[in-house]
Amino acid sequence: MPTREELALVVRTAISDVLGTEVDEVHEQTSLLVDYGIDSLELMEIGARLERALALRIAVEDLTGARSVGHAIDLLEARTAGQS
Amino acid sequence: MTGPQARGRHPSGGRRVAVTGIGVKVPAGHGIEEAFETVLKARSTAGLVGRLVEQDLPVHFACLVPPFDLDAYLTRREARQIDRTTALLLCAAADAVAEAALPLDLAAERVGVQIGTGIGGLPSMEAVTLSHGDRPRDMPVHTVPRTMANSAACRLAMRYGFQGSCTTYSAACASGTTAVGEAARRIRYGELDAAVAGGVDSAVTTVVMGAFARMRAMSARNAEPELASRPFDADRDGFVMGEGAAALVLERWDLAQARGARIYGEVAGYADTCDAFHIVAPHEDGAVAARCMRGAIADAGLTPADIGHINAHGTSTVLNDRAEARAIDRCFGGQSPPVTAVKGVTGHLIGGSGALEAALALLCAARGVVPPIANLVASPEAGLADVVIGTARSIPPAHVLSNSFGFGGQNACLVLTPEQ
Repeated sequence: MPTREELALVVRTAISDVLGTEVDEVHEQTSLLVDYGIDSLELMEIGARLERALALRIAVEDLTGARSVGHAIDLLEARTAGQS
Repeated sequence: MTGPQARGRHPSGGRRVAVTGIGVKVPAGHGIEEAFETVLKARSTAGLVGRLVEQDLPVHFACLVPPFDLDAYLTRREARQIDRTTALLLCAAADAVAEAALPLDLAAERVGVQIGTGIGGLPSMEAVTLSHGDRPRDMPVHTVPRTMANSAACRLAMRYGFQGSCTTYSAACASGTTAVGEAARRIRYGELDAAVAGGVDSAVTTVVMGAFARMRAMSARNAEPELASRPFDADRDGFVMGEGAAALVLERWDLAQARGARIYGEVAGYADTCDAFHIVAPHEDGAVAARCMRGAIADAGLTPADIGHINAHGTSTVLNDRAEARAIDRCFGGQSPPVTAVKGVTGHLIGGSGALEAALALLCAARGVVPPIANLVASPEAGLADVVIGTARSIPPAHVLSNSFGFGGQNACLVLTPEQ
């Protein structure tokens, strides 16, 4: 099971790839909606990348329900813990 | 000029339509002035394309848009979601819109986007089929919005917030001309005050090129790509595929004039017809194509004698060139004005060609110069159409007829009038 730090890097990398930003620009406090105006397709693309990277099915609610990047990492951590 | 036209009225009673911005990303250049200079030199832009050579397609060459700084036009985020076709159109349109400098108080719902494309998103669907055909669950989420035929037009509308009619026209090789003509009609008859009109295609892929090659529609002069596109020449053996985008900002003449905009000229006439004869071959007698030319000239309130020169479709296929020459002969009653065909330089941009050629034709008409046709040495059609061989022809500034004819028997013609 990846550590939270490893998970955070995977998530921030997926986000930065889709939004065309640098990984360093994506923080735990970043709100994809407020800071980037992310749309549903971009969210789905991030989800698809995370599913591939983590070999994990990700619920749509985990993507749409996260208030911030840190919150999304927390939700994913719970999922990966539940999987092991 | 006095009378109705001086007050912004078209002979039809509708509004006159001004061209106030032009942007191109084409093999002949990254701007209309560069493209104009390249066309005047009458040297082909065709070259070998590595991926076509490596896969040993029947055709190894095409006319590609030279590399340019896409980052100056597109954010990385945007670039990830679109294909090359849409990217080329957005870049060309950005130049056109910047040049036109439309007033900020223009109502969004009065500005439209009218774009022609023959192939649309098929090249990017081809790419995703090759990369993900055996694992469709992993396809990129943006596959549909990237590949849908109206993607380029709608991305353009989104970028500027233009909320008027946004239409994508697919009339094969006539698509760009159709888009410009339909946009002009919408402005003329009051539906819109302005529009970005144009055409685009970027289809130099192995499947699309392979498919056209199977029809033997393209030149296979692999050893001499630069000599391959030779409209109206006795030694032609097919068209040369090109890629590119051209966009024109069209605007109600009176509004453009009132705000002191630079006006290149007018989209004065337009008509389209269909041969209804064969799914790819033009009717050899050229009768319906000639009717289309006459229709566009009449739509402009003119007669054939008013046309100073013709920008021919001139693909460098025997069937097109011969039928077009016959159509010109019919339309002009044996009195052909000088005829040029820029595909000898640019290759065939499919949906992009009509819009590029409308822009080039307008510049040529305004500057009183008809470029020589690249690689044209001797023409079997010289008795039907006054094709320009060797050196540019000087003419008085006058109206120009720009022809586009496409697979499916699609005919579309524009008459453009330079600013006096």
